[in-house]
Amino acid sequence: MLITQESASYQDAVPPGGQPPWLARHRAAGMARFAAEGYPKRSQEAWRFTDLRPLTASVFPPAPPDPVAVDAATVAPHRLPCPSHRLVLVNGRFAPALSDIGVLPEGVWLGSVTDALRERPDLVAASLAEGEASLAALNAALFADGFVLAVEAGVTLEAPVEVIHYADMGAPAAAHVRNRMVVGAGGRATVIETSTGVGAGWLNTVTVVTVATGGALRHVQLQRDAAEAIHTSVVRGDLAGDARYESFSLMAGGRLSRRDIQVNLGGPGASVALNGAYLLRGSQEATFAPVVTHAAPHCRTDEVVKGVMQDRAHGVFLGTVRVHPGADGTDARQLNRNLLLSPTAWVDTKPELEILADDVKCSHGATVGSLDEASLFYLQARGIDPATARLMLVEAFAADVIDGAGLDEPIRDHVHGHLRSWLDGLEGGR
Amino acid sequence: MTNLLEIRDLRARIVGGRDILKGIDLDVAPGEVHAIMGPNGAGKSTLSSVLAGKPGYEVTGGSILYQGRDLLALPADERAREGVFLAFQYPVEIPGVNNMYFLRAALNAGRRQRGVPELDAAQFLKAVRDKLKLLDISDDLLRRAVNVGFSGGEKKRNEIFQMAMLEPKLAILDETDSGLDIDALRVVSDGVNRLRDPNRAIVLITHYQRLLDYIVPDHVHVLSDGRIVASGDKTFAAELERTGYAHLGSAA
Repeated sequence: MLITQESASYQDAVPPGGQPPWLARHRAAGMARFAAEGYPKRSQEAWRFTDLRPLTASVFPPAPPDPVAVDAATVAPHRLPCPSHRLVLVNGRFAPALSDIGVLPEGVWLGSVTDALRERPDLVAASLAEGEASLAALNAALFADGFVLAVEAGVTLEAPVEVIHYADMGAPAAAHVRNRMVVGAGGRATVIETSTGVGAGWLNTVTVVTVATGGALRHVQLQRDAAEAIHTSVVRGDLAGDARYESFSLMAGGRLSRRDIQVNLGGPGASVALNGAYLLRGSQEATFAPVVTHAAPHCRTDEVVKGVMQDRAHGVFLGTVRVHPGADGTDARQLNRNLLLSPTAWVDTKPELEILADDVKCSHGATVGSLDEASLFYLQARGIDPATARLMLVEAFAADVIDGAGLDEPIRDHVHGHLRSWLDGLEGGR
Repeated sequence: MTNLLEIRDLRARIVGGRDILKGIDLDVAPGEVHAIMGPNGAGKSTLSSVLAGKPGYEVTGGSILYQGRDLLALPADERAREGVFLAFQYPVEIPGVNNMYFLRAALNAGRRQRGVPELDAAQFLKAVRDKLKLLDISDDLLRRAVNVGFSGGEKKRNEIFQMAMLEPKLAILDETDSGLDIDALRVVSDGVNRLRDPNRAIVLITHYQRLLDYIVPDHVHVLSDGRIVASGDKTFAAELERTGYAHLGSAA
């Protein structure tokens, strides 16, 4: 095995024995792959705009499993304001004392990866794939835990699944988390993930999603990591015919974050909604990179992503919609809109269509602008001070994408609350 | 009676341009309605913009006293909270900002400034209902985002509704009649007439005399090439209708 400096740092971190041989094989393959590839390079097109130096400049040993400072009171402010099946992962490991999975209907399995390895190893095995790249490969080698949700055919899970990833890592440390969600034919579920915490940790997650024929999964990811934290995340989704995956991402925390969402529309009539917002200030750096592949006819993509950047923050949108030969009747819309609040804030946006079928309806677009002066004056002419007027316009810009995401009321209000709390932290806040 | 507004030799321009206002003198007392008429390019909109504090204009000479204070020293939002209201010629559409949310924020900003307790949601709603009734406006306008998807008439009506809610001391109506058909003009004018008050002054800026058939002013002024070139009482407007502005252009 080729040992690079990067991988050498992590060799000792591979969780030792007590695991099934197939998992050991995946871990070894992951480490080998990472050893060969190392971190993503800016010479790779998909990583061209992302400055990974905060990640590559340090070594991130595995995070301490059980920080004493994290208790129910630490996690309480981040909980949903409605009944849920709640899992809390602290530094990437399931924390039973902080979790409340509650009563699950027949046909639903929900729990940690550690428990799944005992009860449903098949679910964990399906989250690992050959040929995972760089950070996902390192994740395969090192993941300690994660969550697993399996909804059987025809079953609807009414209450949302709530997953809180809480990080408390003093020195640079990493939590590699591997998640698996599978919804059977005609099944339904909603999952809300929140990542938050303190310290300069690195959270590296891989989530593998499968939705069978006619099933539907709604997936909300609220990223409010600590100011010094790094968060890289990959969601890989595979949808069968008439299946639906609705993803909403809020990226509003961390020093460096990157979210890759790769969805394969594999059966006729599958549809995906990929909405989100990145809200950045200070010297935050965030990349949102959704890639949808239309591999079957009559599938649909709806994608609206908005960015707000202040100070020296840098946002990157890399959206790709691929339409394979034969995927006729494809209907795909992709829109990225950005608001720059400071002359030193910037954004790179690259919405792309790769169309290899004939009969398709595809649109894409990107805008970059600043606050509308006429609107600002209108608000001030009614007595609203300039700072509040700015906040109202920023909130309106970003709220629109939340309202358009089709979330149910308690969750929508919860997401709006995250937006407002971010706005409160803006310079000249209300 | 002391004047609410005293404009003396006001000179102003768009930043970097030539003077558009070339020495305006105007006194407005509480309870009065003044109409400022004049042809396109006379400086009517510049005058309303300067009064409201719109960015992009600079005052190169003269003064404006409002309630005895230097109005030009106040930023636009403070002028508004002190009771200056501009009804826009082109009300701005603001997607995503709900009309009611916006108006309550505006109303309470003014109340804070005056040291009056803010209105809670229920009190605000009651005030809204009262004013809607007064102005005969349907409440579905309020559920929408500020001016978004409003017809021209709805936008102007929304301006007058905001005026009713904010209860200004000085209301400047900038071409409020433009783009209105006769029915909409009547509705808007009725609204303005109901808001006439001994403690409130109204300045109507208009190109056309027809507005003055509905809102009868106490004083009529003709603005031409940046100056007020003629003034008179309400009968003056009808006279202007017959004679036009042209002969007044060089009167100053």
